[in-house]
Amino acid sequence: MADTVDTEALHAWIREFARLIAEHKDLLTELDSAIGDADHGINLHRGMSAVVEVLEKESPGRPAELLKRTGMTLVSTVGGASGPLYGTAFLRMSAIAGDAETLDGADIAKILRAALDGVVARGKAQAGDKTMYDALAPAVESIEESIADGQPLGEALDNAVRAAEQGRAATVAMVARKGRASYLGERSAGHQDPGATSVTLLVAAAARALA
Amino acid sequence: MVVSHSRALARAAVTLAAEMAAGARIEIAAGLDDTTLGTDATAIVDALVAADDGDGVVVLMDLGSAVLSAELALELVDEDLRSRVVLCPAPLVEGLVAAAVTAAGGAGRDEVAREASDGLLGKVAQLGTAPAEDAGGEAMATVTVGNPHGLHARPAARLVTEARRLNAGLEVRNRTTGSAWVPATSLSRVATLGALRGHEIDVRASGPGARAAVDEIVAVAARRFDETPPELDKIGEWGGPVPVDLDLIGGNTTGTGVRRGQGASAGIGIGPAWRRSSTPPEVPDEPSQGTDVEWRRVEDAVAAVRLEIDKIWEGNPEASIFDAHLLLLDDAELLGEVRQRIEGGQAAPQAFRGAAGRIAAEFDTLDDPYLRGRGDDVHAVADQVLRAMLGISGTAASGDGVLVAPDLTPAEAATLDPVRVTGVLLAFGSPTSHGAILARTRGIPMVVGAGPAVLSGPPGAVVVLDGSTGEFAISPPEPVAAAFRDRAAERSARAGRAAARAGEPAVTADGVTVHVAANLGSVADARAAAANGADLAGLVRTEFLFLDRDAAPSVDEQVAVYRQIAEALGGRRITLRTLDVGGDKPLRYAPAPHEQNPFLGVRGIRHSLAHPAVFADQLLAIARVARETPVSIMFPMVSTVGEVVTARRMLDDAIGRAGRSDGLRVGIMIEVPAAALRSAAFTPYVDFVSVGTNDLTQYTLAAERGNAALSADGLDPAVLRLIRLVCEQSGVPVAVCGELAADEAAVPLLTALGVRELSVAPPAVPLVKESVRGTRLEQAGPLAERACGLADANAVRALLKPGNVHSGR
Repeated sequence: MADTVDTEALHAWIREFARLIAEHKDLLTELDSAIGDADHGINLHRGMSAVVEVLEKESPGRPAELLKRTGMTLVSTVGGASGPLYGTAFLRMSAIAGDAETLDGADIAKILRAALDGVVARGKAQAGDKTMYDALAPAVESIEESIADGQPLGEALDNAVRAAEQGRAATVAMVARKGRASYLGERSAGHQDPGATSVTLLVAAAARALA
Repeated sequence: MVVSHSRALARAAVTLAAEMAAGARIEIAAGLDDTTLGTDATAIVDALVAADDGDGVVVLMDLGSAVLSAELALELVDEDLRSRVVLCPAPLVEGLVAAAVTAAGGAGRDEVAREASDGLLGKVAQLGTAPAEDAGGEAMATVTVGNPHGLHARPAARLVTEARRLNAGLEVRNRTTGSAWVPATSLSRVATLGALRGHEIDVRASGPGARAAVDEIVAVAARRFDETPPELDKIGEWGGPVPVDLDLIGGNTTGTGVRRGQGASAGIGIGPAWRRSSTPPEVPDEPSQGTDVEWRRVEDAVAAVRLEIDKIWEGNPEASIFDAHLLLLDDAELLGEVRQRIEGGQAAPQAFRGAAGRIAAEFDTLDDPYLRGRGDDVHAVADQVLRAMLGISGTAASGDGVLVAPDLTPAEAATLDPVRVTGVLLAFGSPTSHGAILARTRGIPMVVGAGPAVLSGPPGAVVVLDGSTGEFAISPPEPVAAAFRDRAAERSARAGRAAARAGEPAVTADGVTVHVAANLGSVADARAAAANGADLAGLVRTEFLFLDRDAAPSVDEQVAVYRQIAEALGGRRITLRTLDVGGDKPLRYAPAPHEQNPFLGVRGIRHSLAHPAVFADQLLAIARVARETPVSIMFPMVSTVGEVVTARRMLDDAIGRAGRSDGLRVGIMIEVPAAALRSAAFTPYVDFVSVGTNDLTQYTLAAERGNAALSADGLDPAVLRLIRLVCEQSGVPVAVCGELAADEAAVPLLTALGVRELSVAPPAVPLVKESVRGTRLEQAGPLAERACGLADANAVRALLKPGNVHSGR
């Protein structure tokens, strides 16, 4: 497929993400029940279902519009901390997308970098805090490298999925320092972080829908 | 303005504040709707716009996403408004009250926010605490290893445990050998320091709390990492010679080799010692089913092994050798490599074996022989995990004679062959553990708490043990062995007498009938109960139908099994206890949220009421069976009348669907002190009560039954008083279905308190009946009264010595 991404492709990405969240809802909730308040799967599923509905009703024109509507819907329907975190990520992506009709590989790397920056600004997370950052950051770094190396977007996204998966796996051994899980201290170690798990699905959805 | 996850919480907080400052204007952005918890950044934007009248807004938030959503909302409003909004870190309730009072007085937003932030000061002053100050930054210190064997398994485990607890990024290096820094939280990395006695170890940490954390490690190191010096190892305390009371060899105890642990399952065991197989399990060559599936297998197996080790460890300080095993189970280095191998396409068993093998090999290269030996720890853990992963039972090869082991899991106890296994001798363990209960059920004599020394005895050596007194000996001299054989013969003669009239009713010497019932956990148990002359099934643990499966059993399946149990008992009454599970034994099809303390959580009837669909099916199955055969139903873990009312209402629905049956009796288990104390309140709703002395004892004494360091003896006067209260006040027949009912010493006492049904493990039925027959209430009554007034369980046991109660044995 072409190396540019239009609104329709982004819409497919969102739908795929919603589908993956629905499919993994119980897993996410189960992971969250081990170290959090057992609502991550339910909350994200509620938010993404609302997003899909909003986008179905009126399909957005430009990428920025789609990303913005996704972000705004998430912040008002998710409820938990993942609402403002994912919401900020999409709103930052929207800001970077600007007036563009289509996005190329470099643009995708840029908007994902903006999403990561947004997550950091909102959650104040650092590497190793056992959060979604630990999966998203390696994915963004990977896609930036791949694009800089001149790889096609599809390959870049596939690499990014692997990087996210590795980052997600690394959260198992980490001790949480952010969010509800941090109350558990060392007992949070040994469990995979639900946020890192869901954001890996976001990257996986991109790999499937955008390339 | 208030941002909260909960609309109800926000409204209540505002009401509270309004009482202090009626004039203040407070907007709310809380919850996704009236009942759904959550925060909504767009709602916060709306509330900000509404709240701002040009003087600005002070925002108070509860926690987590409330803060994140409020920050996001600030980004979404226009710059003009943003400049007038203060997000205030004050605690919600205290801050809101202070802010409302200040704002009502006409103060500006910055002053309001400041006052809100100071809102906590009153409480701090009242409670006399001050917020901790933490300077942050780096901290470092050097300690000298004083342990004779260096930083080997136990001290290293102690260091790692502390480091993880302190959570301050602690790192250590061996200054003497010039090693690299390694995380103090990884056991495998710490072990590679090769730190010997006299080596200097640098400790460093960073971030807030760094200084305190390093100081803590210095203190632990000064205590030699809490390792007991070998000269003080209390071998003697574990298995010292029995000083008194050993009539079996004519009072001469020295040089007999007889030692004493704790009796856990009555009976004499004699036979050659055997240990569980320690050969590594065979890893089949299998393809990976994908990263997620394989990683899940690793996680499940690690969790299972952790549970096994936890069980041994709890309350056994001497079991700290297992600390190292426990820490390896979440060692980042080990798991990280397993994960990498799985991602590289290996199946879980191969990946685990490979990673563990690589790390064990690293130990093998170390200079110090003691540390080299730690590779064995890795192998031991890896084998255990692999067995769990492959579903291989540790006792696959059941031996003949006396099993000698550190501890016995319920699963292992359940698989022992009572014909081949003549006894069990455990280094650790507790007489009240589930493993011990199963040993009693299966009639296998067992002694626990025998001390770690028994683990190094030669395989095949003759072991003799008495599961009633806790006495045991390894390779005893002939007179001792003969004495144990005599005891066994005497016991079997007595059992023979009891068995001969097991089928007859149990009536005390003064004519009071006590029903002796059986506790069952399977259809096989029901057959054993019938063979042992049980008058009825006093407790059918229905969990066996529900555990370890992906979906709840259907109504038809339950009906079939309950019917089989009734048939196996020849139509005698069966008492079906509804599902008794909780967070410690989660059901895959009825997921429960994580609980800090499952034993004080959603379990028993609480769990059933929380999963009404599963519960309704069970009630329907029971109501159906009740139309065919005499059935009693009882609800476990009841603490309030409301629970019983709700459960009975659901039972009525089930009866409505199944049809009425005259023989169905309804009861509750009294396991919670609250239920015992208000037993009269349950009278209108029950036909009988059954005291579960195991849990009642645990909850009354706040003592975990598996914890060998604590006494959770059901003969504690506090428990006896509760039983007496239940007998006096409940107004319905009282049964006892805990372990206490099978304690022959306790039988006269329980009978005297008013208990009229004793439900015990099937093999114990004949002897309990004999014990009832030997009871004379005019003797036992005053004794029971005295027992209730004594200081502790030991005093009660001394009072109940044979001869005091029974008219004769």
